[in-house]
Amino acid sequence: MERRNFLKGLGAASLVAVTTPTFINAKEEAAKAAPKGPNALSYDNAIRVIADGKEIKVSDKVDLVVPEIAENGAVVPVKVNVDHPMEENNYVKAIHILAKENGNARCADVMLTPLNGKGYFATRVKLAKTQDVVAVVELSDGTFLSANKSVKVTIGGCG
Amino acid sequence: MRRILVSTALLVSLAFSGEQFAMSDADRAMYAEMLENNPADIFVEEGGEIFEDELGGEAALAKFLGIKEKELPKYIAGFPRYIKKLGNVVGLDQVLQAMMAEQKKEQIKLKDSKMFSLLAYVKSLANDEQFTIDINADEHIKASYELGKKNFMTPRGGRGLSCNSCHSKEVIGMILRTQPLPDLGVNGAGGTWPAYRMTKSSLRSLQRRFQGCMNNALLAVIPIGSKEMVGLEVYVSKLAQDKKQPIAIPGLKR
Amino acid sequence: MAEKRRAMVKIKPKKYNVGDTVKVDFIIIHPMDTGMQKDKKTGEIKPAKYIDNVTFKLDGKPFSQMKVWETVSTNPYFSVNLKVPGKGKITVEYSDNTGEKGSKSKKLKPKG
Repeated sequence: MERRNFLKGLGAASLVAVTTPTFINAKEEAAKAAPKGPNALSYDNAIRVIADGKEIKVSDKVDLVVPEIAENGAVVPVKVNVDHPMEENNYVKAIHILAKENGNARCADVMLTPLNGKGYFATRVKLAKTQDVVAVVELSDGTFLSANKSVKVTIGGCG
Repeated sequence: MRRILVSTALLVSLAFSGEQFAMSDADRAMYAEMLENNPADIFVEEGGEIFEDELGGEAALAKFLGIKEKELPKYIAGFPRYIKKLGNVVGLDQVLQAMMAEQKKEQIKLKDSKMFSLLAYVKSLANDEQFTIDINADEHIKASYELGKKNFMTPRGGRGLSCNSCHSKEVIGMILRTQPLPDLGVNGAGGTWPAYRMTKSSLRSLQRRFQGCMNNALLAVIPIGSKEMVGLEVYVSKLAQDKKQPIAIPGLKR
Repeated sequence: MAEKRRAMVKIKPKKYNVGDTVKVDFIIIHPMDTGMQKDKKTGEIKPAKYIDNVTFKLDGKPFSQMKVWETVSTNPYFSVNLKVPGKGKITVEYSDNTGEKGSKSKKLKPKG
């Protein structure tokens, strides 16, 4: 079954990410050979790539909307709203969406501009299993904010 | 003897943990919102192109059925129905196939994804309509309904299951393989197919969904367009009709 | 190249004025293969094929740039806001890891 194979694949990739020694060099880790996916990257290394050691503050200005219980792991809706202006010199510069337990923790990033009018981004992601979805927000002044929510993924059903 | 034991085992495995897996209102809203950007819309658009460019659109369909164009939505809402010209109770997809044959166009198989797209577009012309299936209209539709009901109720296959094993009134709301069992009538199941299946990333028709169910329940899979499948579609569509659930295509499903 | 990949660009709400913030939705039919799944028919691993970049442009100028990975769902959906500056043309361009490129446009037509 396609879905099960996909999920099995992601699960195997994330297992490998957990049991191998922690690599500080994210690029090196990403370059390791199969059976991992082409972009296998742990959550911790993904954060290093995104924020480069800067502090990331959990903030309720970042409204991360995901289902509490996802009906399936193939299509999980994710919506982010950032309560912050979108003015010429003060705006939401980027929103990064991550999934902590996926073999490749990165899902999608958007680089925004004041023309967007709002710090908003929505997409749909694959989740290999129950895990935290994280939104890391970069403001134009270099500050990093974040929010995370747990999504229970029900892998089941018939047919 | 084995069949009874297996059915009992099924009942035992069904849990009453309704709350644990019940969708919260917030979650329900998120999934409802996804309908506004349903990948199926793109397949429906593709179906529309096939219908208009290759089959002559609504004018040709109305002519084939011997009705006026403006009567199409309510008429389509009465499928599957007996079509004298074809001598059988048929689904809308079979009518479209017959039009292809009549126009000497290349056949699209009933199980082809292009047919699902075409079916979705044409059936969506009846969106917001109530089903208008009259199971007493003639002996043919009556027989088709009875055949569908019989198939729905008859246990068969390796586990001795019938559709009714998981879709009877007694088990609605119980959890099977982490999914709450739906009330097919109240949910208007019959009117929301063809639908985009998220776990298959594709548009599927109702009969194709039946095949998926049969596969999982270890029932021998019945061909799309067969008398039995058409009967099942009549039966399941009538369940939605009885609960006044309208046609709303394309749906979005797990 | 094979037939153009199907996509949709939608603006919500349907009626809007200059200065309003609208939602711009993009949805495209694309497999987003992770490179870890087997083809059911051949048993072979399907090579990774996923959209890796999406750019939303207004009259040729980018206003939202996305980096995308194979972890985004098949037949992906992306949505951002746009503060309507006036009449124009929205173009969404995409490219995938195999070098495939494409785009889809929609006119921006404020009422007032």
